Amino acid sequence: MNRHLHSTRRRFFGTSALSLAPIALNSLFRQQSSAAEIDSLSGPLQARTPHYSARAKSVIFLFQTGGPSQMDLFDPKPALNRRDGEDFPDEFLKKVQFAQIQEKVPQIWGSPYRFSQHGECGAPMSELLPHMATIVDQVSFVHTMKTDDTNHMFAELMMNTGWRQFGRPSIGSWVSYGLGSESQDLPAFLVLGGAPRSKAANYGNGFLPSKYQGTKLRNSGDAILNLSNPAGYTPQRQANSIQTINALNRIRYEENGDDEVAARIASYELAFRMQAAAPELLELNKETPETLRQYGIDDPARPTFARNCLLARRLVERGVRFIQIFNTDWDHHTALATSLPNMCRVTDQPSAALIKDLAQRGLLDDTLVIWGGELGRTPVAQKSMNPNEAVGRDHQINAFTMMFAGGGVKRGSTLGATNDLGCVPITDSWHVYDLQATILHALGLDHKALTYRYQGRDFRLTDVHGNVKHELFA
Amino acid sequence: MIFRFPIPLAVAGLGLLFIVERIPAADLPKASREQQYKEQILPILQARCYECHAGSEQESGFRLDTRHRALVGGDSGVAIIPGNPGESEFLRRITSTDESEWMPPEGERLSSSEIALLTDWIAEGASGLPDSIAEQPTHWAFQPISRPTPPPVDSTWPHNAVDSFILDRLRQETIEPSATASRETLVRRLYLDLLGLLPPRERVTTFIRAGDPDAFERLVDELLASPHYGERWGRHWLDLARYADSTGYESDQPRQIWAYRDWVINALNRDLPFSDFVIEQFAGDQIPNATVSQKIATGFHCNAMFDGGVRWEAVIDRVNTTGSIFLGLTLGCAQCHTHKTDPVTQREFYSLFAYFNAGYVRQMDFAGNLVDPPPSPVDKTTELPATTLIMTYSPSTTHLFVRGDPRNHGEQVTSGVPAFLHDLETRDDQPSQRLDLARWIMADDNPLTARVTTNRVWQRFFGLGLVKTENDFGVQTPLPIHSSLLDFLSIYLRGKPTHPIHQWSTKHLHRLIVSSATYRQSSHIRRDLLESDPQNHWWARQNRLRLEAEIIRDIALDAADLLTPKIGGASVYPAQPDGILTGRATPAQWDPSTGEDRLRRGMYTWVWRLTPHPHLPLFDAPDGVTACTRRDRSNVPVQALTLLNDPTFVECSQALGRRVVRTDSTSDSDAIQFLFQTCLSRLPSQQEHKLIEQLLNQQRQTLALSESECQLIVGESSLPHISLTEQAAWVVIARSIQNLDEFFTRP
Repeated sequence: MNRHLHSTRRRFFGTSALSLAPIALNSLFRQQSSAAEIDSLSGPLQARTPHYSARAKSVIFLFQTGGPSQMDLFDPKPALNRRDGEDFPDEFLKKVQFAQIQEKVPQIWGSPYRFSQHGECGAPMSELLPHMATIVDQVSFVHTMKTDDTNHMFAELMMNTGWRQFGRPSIGSWVSYGLGSESQDLPAFLVLGGAPRSKAANYGNGFLPSKYQGTKLRNSGDAILNLSNPAGYTPQRQANSIQTINALNRIRYEENGDDEVAARIASYELAFRMQAAAPELLELNKETPETLRQYGIDDPARPTFARNCLLARRLVERGVRFIQIFNTDWDHHTALATSLPNMCRVTDQPSAALIKDLAQRGLLDDTLVIWGGELGRTPVAQKSMNPNEAVGRDHQINAFTMMFAGGGVKRGSTLGATNDLGCVPITDSWHVYDLQATILHALGLDHKALTYRYQGRDFRLTDVHGNVKHELFA
Repeated sequence: MIFRFPIPLAVAGLGLLFIVERIPAADLPKASREQQYKEQILPILQARCYECHAGSEQESGFRLDTRHRALVGGDSGVAIIPGNPGESEFLRRITSTDESEWMPPEGERLSSSEIALLTDWIAEGASGLPDSIAEQPTHWAFQPISRPTPPPVDSTWPHNAVDSFILDRLRQETIEPSATASRETLVRRLYLDLLGLLPPRERVTTFIRAGDPDAFERLVDELLASPHYGERWGRHWLDLARYADSTGYESDQPRQIWAYRDWVINALNRDLPFSDFVIEQFAGDQIPNATVSQKIATGFHCNAMFDGGVRWEAVIDRVNTTGSIFLGLTLGCAQCHTHKTDPVTQREFYSLFAYFNAGYVRQMDFAGNLVDPPPSPVDKTTELPATTLIMTYSPSTTHLFVRGDPRNHGEQVTSGVPAFLHDLETRDDQPSQRLDLARWIMADDNPLTARVTTNRVWQRFFGLGLVKTENDFGVQTPLPIHSSLLDFLSIYLRGKPTHPIHQWSTKHLHRLIVSSATYRQSSHIRRDLLESDPQNHWWARQNRLRLEAEIIRDIALDAADLLTPKIGGASVYPAQPDGILTGRATPAQWDPSTGEDRLRRGMYTWVWRLTPHPHLPLFDAPDGVTACTRRDRSNVPVQALTLLNDPTFVECSQALGRRVVRTDSTSDSDAIQFLFQTCLSRLPSQQEHKLIEQLLNQQRQTLALSESECQLIVGESSLPHISLTEQAAWVVIARSIQNLDEFFTRP
């Protein structure tokens, strides 16, 4: 079950002023309904067995909203600098679909950043990512990611739900549906960070039952909606109220025998435990100063990508199945040379720290970490409408980079290569469907077998597509 | 008449051009023509075509073994036009010079004499093809609705015909129906089902005390006549209509279409016959001398999401919605391909598409004038002028999207209906329009609309339909256990011309169902049924149903006496947490409503599709992306947190607590009874009473220690002259009652 948190829960139940109430609630819950009984209903999730044994038990998806510029960060293309300012060759104009560039023939733009090789694997990294450069031997890069739509919103939905429109379940929901929850105190699928363009649809349950939807950890106010008691309600008063509510519910349950009431009782129990567990989760001052320094967290209360990365590790420790952080925003159409370094500054150190931290605590083997956005960027410059503004890069969907770590992924490996202009793959593509099939595979789920019947049809995350990329795994 | 047929045919395999010139034997007797088919044509088809184009495994949806499909053709066009070989895709393909499209794709090309025979055969009318409908058993849902007679059952249990069907089946299973629910339960069930509101305490009492046998029917009639009936059932309809106050997608612009929502409420309240209800929503603008109200009704299909310039997606949605909610069919699959099990081919999908492709959304003021939309996105809190969206007609050509790809235009198609159902009656020689489609949907020959509609009504009253897959009546859906009851109710809804007042009367159908003994059964789970019928397929009991997102808030407000009963009008902005609207591409306003608009029914809450009020998705309200035919009833901890801690529900508990201490109750018992009667429509048991009393006294003790806590719990509207401790203790109790599963579950 939860990896190391038993001590934390004991701490809470053992020392808080509430000690009696939660234990009483808890024991009543245990007597009333077995885990299996509850899970067959609409109540909280229980852990389920995957299709086959797997390394990864949880996923942290560091979603880089907007599309980081792969040729300025991970996939160096010296040819761009050599041919800087040249017209984009005709042969590629036909193959590369732009989102915003209106010019008939845009110009090649060399990367303003220096690359050097790192680690034993010698993977190249941009000078903008000095911290991530120190973990290259622990990760795999894939340079031939491919998606279908140059529009952010649709590309986000594609990446997160396998469909270019609204209405399909997100990958976190599919995983919750397939594997259930290992956490007794927190939802199975938690979402942190900023808002992607297509908002909650990126972590929605679509047509799956809504208990599989992602729960957003909020940046302001309560971490989870309505987590705090109303004014005047002490934890003890809340506990007493819930005790009475559930005692009354139980009387009705005995009378009407409807398991939905048992599930309701369990929900109120879990809600109460979440009220204790979620604030405890957020107590980052319990972390050592060294850990905070590693992640680059100055103010633990400030909602930053760094804080969310540390929270992701704490969530993994607490058995949360799927954690998705939306890191907004990498959409650098213009003034890339100003915006990209800023974005790297907030992203680089915590991304590296998370992987090191997971590894150090022995959690990385069980946790698949994914780093990447919904699309990539062009090797040509996009000119701003404003003549005083510097250039950036437009969207590119033929080939872009994602990074993987943990969960059985090869260490120090690079898969896939792009041509010397970084605009078309010269090895096999990884379509989004392949990525999704591969993520499910890492968790022991067969993407073709993980189906849900809706409107007379068996739906899958990968629709009728997707191939597991076994070469990603050691 | 003798006509000659000089058709130049380029036969690629031979690489030469030749002229077929034959005298068609048009006046051959029918028998000889069929004989000719059997002896000369069929062998060619069998040898050269059937491998791919016959039976259930056809390529491209084209099959040559039934007349209908051979004529309609597959994905690439009309295959055989009797009497017109020159225009027949079939002939064009077998004579094509393009390797990518010639037929058969493998093996020898057809010989020139074979081609000549086939050409002749088509010119003569392509006789002899078997009529598939007559030869293959039709899927149950596509067959005409039968007129079953209620089976005779020797029992006093039935109240009406519904029960005869149910009891007859239960007898076969040797199962007894459940006891009738208590009168407290019945009055609560009826109020929640028909109005979505709590029964007032006094009404519960009078109903329980009423001794006459007609009391139940009187209550039903009273509720069917309530203006809140239209709200309750209107919201059900709005789920199907994917109603929202914004356009969806990333831009998610605001739009004004609440007049349509009010039209629905009003139409249901006046029991507008369902046929007119549908026809006006589909094509109110095309009804001769259309009224403003009929035009407002066309907002139905304007509800589709809309993303600036991309129009075809909304058109696709209109086709899919039509299929889902009237035909019970998933048409979306036919958008890309013809599927062998689907009754609708890809080309037929685009024929339906053509109806909506000729429909344009315009903005109309309430005087009926078309008005231009505001020039720029409304991003301020400026009041929009009162307008609504309506559908208008403008001719448009439609092309099939090859493999569903809108960039890849295939053959041009005209409007039309799927051939597996009844024929379309057109008004003149023009291509049929939306009004014709609407009349086709509501035609007596259509077995699906009445069945699908009736089934959904049953689902609302029982939690599940007689057909469990309420949006899929397709060929893979088995005949339901209660198919006769479904047909009986469908015919009942349709009504008889001799009783025009009951034709397509929704209220009439509702009255029949809620008056049945089946509906009135207890919803308690029975041990004896757990094994034999755990899913309740035989309806030997009622089901308990967690209430919908909007209704949970409505009844919390209702119990607290806070609810503004006003019906209709512009959408409102009840309080919501901060941060819901941040990060939107289009700024959205949410100036919390004040005054009476603050506490309106949930169905009037403004819905930004992209960023809805958090209560809505939390309690499974639909996202408005596509038609929602059944809501999920989830049960998650954040729901508990919301009902316990959300400011709106806390406000309700404060107001309810005030109600309790303000009543003339002389004792705690009286007050507890008042709370139970108000919230749960019943009296507490001794055990329940004791539990409440324990919490009450415990709270009195702890609250007495802290006046500040009391003040916080009671809130700003504390009552003078009553002890603050006492007020706070009752707020805590009120909050607990409002959090009972029983409170927000239809019994």
